[in-house]
Amino acid sequence: MVQNKQTWGRKAESGAALLIAIFALLLISVIAIALVVTSGTDAALGGNYRTSAGAYFAAAAGLEEARGRLLWKNPDCIVNRPLSPPNPNCPNATFIPTVLTSAAGYLPNMQLHDVRYILNPLNGETVDPQSANPSDYPDTEYATEFAPLAGANVATIPSIQQANIAGLPGPPYKWVRITPATEKSVNIDVNGDGTKDPLARLYYEPSNLDSSCRPSPGLIPEGSPVLLNCSPAQQLPSPTPTGVQALEVTSLAVLPSGARRIVQYVVAPLIISASVPPSSALPPGMPTNNFPAALTLDGSSVTFQSPNPWGNSSDCAPGSLNPAYCIDGQDFSNTANGVASISCTIPSGCSPITAEISSQGPTNPNFYPGSPINPISTPPNAPAFAPTSVVNLSVPQPPSQPLLQQRWQTPKTLDAIAQDITNSADVVINKAAASGSDISARAPTMSATNPMTIVVNGDLDLTGWHNAAFGLLLVTGTLHYDPDASWNGIVLVIGQGIFSSSKNGSGGIHGAVVVAKTRDNSGILLTTPTLGPAFFGTQSSYGSGPGLGIRYDSFWTQQAQGPLSYKVLSFREITLAN
Amino acid sequence: MTQKTRNRRGFTLLELMASMTIFLIICAAMFGLLQLSQQKYSSESQMSGAFQEARLGIDQIVRDINISGYPSQNMFSKPVSSASYAVGPVAWDPGYPATDCQIGACTTPGDYDVILETDLGDGNVSWIRYTLTGTTLFRGVLQKTTGDPNTAPWGTGVMVPLVSNVMNNPPGALVAQITAEYPTLFPGGAPQPVFRYNCATPAGSQPCNLAPTTYNAPKLVSDVDVMLIVMTQTPDMQTKQLKLMELSGRGHRSNPSN
Repeated sequence: MVQNKQTWGRKAESGAALLIAIFALLLISVIAIALVVTSGTDAALGGNYRTSAGAYFAAAAGLEEARGRLLWKNPDCIVNRPLSPPNPNCPNATFIPTVLTSAAGYLPNMQLHDVRYILNPLNGETVDPQSANPSDYPDTEYATEFAPLAGANVATIPSIQQANIAGLPGPPYKWVRITPATEKSVNIDVNGDGTKDPLARLYYEPSNLDSSCRPSPGLIPEGSPVLLNCSPAQQLPSPTPTGVQALEVTSLAVLPSGARRIVQYVVAPLIISASVPPSSALPPGMPTNNFPAALTLDGSSVTFQSPNPWGNSSDCAPGSLNPAYCIDGQDFSNTANGVASISCTIPSGCSPITAEISSQGPTNPNFYPGSPINPISTPPNAPAFAPTSVVNLSVPQPPSQPLLQQRWQTPKTLDAIAQDITNSADVVINKAAASGSDISARAPTMSATNPMTIVVNGDLDLTGWHNAAFGLLLVTGTLHYDPDASWNGIVLVIGQGIFSSSKNGSGGIHGAVVVAKTRDNSGILLTTPTLGPAFFGTQSSYGSGPGLGIRYDSFWTQQAQGPLSYKVLSFREITLAN
Repeated sequence: MTQKTRNRRGFTLLELMASMTIFLIICAAMFGLLQLSQQKYSSESQMSGAFQEARLGIDQIVRDINISGYPSQNMFSKPVSSASYAVGPVAWDPGYPATDCQIGACTTPGDYDVILETDLGDGNVSWIRYTLTGTTLFRGVLQKTTGDPNTAPWGTGVMVPLVSNVMNNPPGALVAQITAEYPTLFPGGAPQPVFRYNCATPAGSQPCNLAPTTYNAPKLVSDVDVMLIVMTQTPDMQTKQLKLMELSGRGHRSNPSN
């Protein structure tokens, strides 16, 4: 009996040990779990931050893919190329509806309910913005900005990330949507009429003026008036021939962790158009002239030096194969079209220019033909293609005469145009004294079918460079032109505003030239409201002739851009409801 | 009988005292470790908290900078009240909105103060102000008006604390100790700006104060570098040293300048 009692007591002690052991284990476990939970919370907080930022940059990458592919130069472009035939490297070149314009080739022309998506699913997942299934990444934002997506004209293409290098995943955005922009979609009352119109598409009008006649480029709903000139008052409904459609680009990124961000651009094609569209309707077949003259001497005080007559003035006519030095406003691509030979903006008149032309001999004025007026002849305003066509754009002109946009007439706004060109250039040469060989080295693929935008931040001396170039040339210093070189396109000498030529040659500039001084000799932007004194001079001492001069060509002024880029007008992040 | 007696024997006093001594030694060691780990945990927890607070603060600031300048004037058909659009990514004083001030000489933006302009999604343009007062970084939002952004009614209730214990510009009593303990955080012993501004120039983005005068303008701010030096609420319990850390970020303006 005693033995049994003792045995029972030892068994009871064994149980207590088990309880103590379990308690100890429990204590250790609680501490361990607490440690794990603590570190886990820290990791989760850090992870949330990383994925949130990651989603933002992924969504921004989606925006940039769409903006890049809108440009015709992109090998995966989604907008038709301005050249003919269309770029064969772009199988999706007709993805965005376009209209062919004479100002800059194909430009977007999306209807209100056109919706285009670039889809970027991860392996095996479904991305369908039109789906009602939340796991398919539906586009719930579209209905907020426009209308239910079910009624829209939707088309999709895959992202270029789908063809990425194997094993290297691209940014994990899900879709990018491209639509026309409206007041409602951007949530801004752009014309201040008190409503956010859901139906009128928005256009970017670069030549718009405010009521004080100051440059006021901005968005305007279609059908709303665009003030193009104040004296005399000239208005056209948007879109004007130089207006371009604003597109809204929206990108959704969702990371595997669940972080979601939506960001949005409003973009518009950047085209270089210096002229105000004529107030009268253009006759059928007439192109929009991007420049008011073959040579625009911009500013209230300019110096012009004319060479002696060279060749026969009848060879200024388009199609002539004989050499003659002409500054010619007759359009070489459309013999029925034309602009002035030289335009100036000198308030007191262009007499310094016409006097210089006349001083070089009685026949010299015949080498400056153009359309539509002839201030030298008697009576003035002679019919088209007058012998000399030098037009003063600072005074009222006939309705058919393209004017120079206000933003091309002040240092600040013209410098902004130069900055836009620089930001979208194919090649930027930052060199105090560049030469033609710099262009050859940096733009070896430039050709008639691949026009390029070249910016030289400094002087450019083309002496000895006997090549043909195609595209847009911007020189911020002095351009010393050698007429053995030919340039087909647009030549802008904006900055120091000095164009000089003292060589012989047989080449010429086909397109248009603008010379303007926006900076002082130190390169500092002028703070005056008016431009500085520009210089254009061609010396007269030649053996084989000073070249063909400047021949206006609407084809090359169109081909030189088409457009240069898609400019970001705004960026915002859309707050997600969930 | 002998077996029974042996079975009934308890511990001797010596055994009991030895075992209790060992037990107490182990307990003392354990409690010592526990206290140490508690102190460590407390310090690390404070570090982590300060770090999180600063990181969330930087994330908020960078987000606001990224969307600053929306909508710009070119989103409108005709001149509207300056309250309806963002004159620039940041508002300034003096001279706003007609005349730019030179960053470095402006009342705002400055090293410890910035007022961003953007639409936060409600269809109105807002001023978002970040300002370091003492050791607290405050954030406030006001709907933009045509008045002076610096003298707008930024008061209690508008400006709310965002990050505490910010030591970029440490109070006088702590300057010597902080700069001595963290000389690399305060080169030359000088206070460190919370905001540094880069301006868009033809040569690319440059520090505004080094850019040509024409481009040293609030309207042309393209990037803002944000740096926060934060300190834990209490010194380290073991070393009694102040615990500081530095976090930085950069916000990039994507909206065009007017």
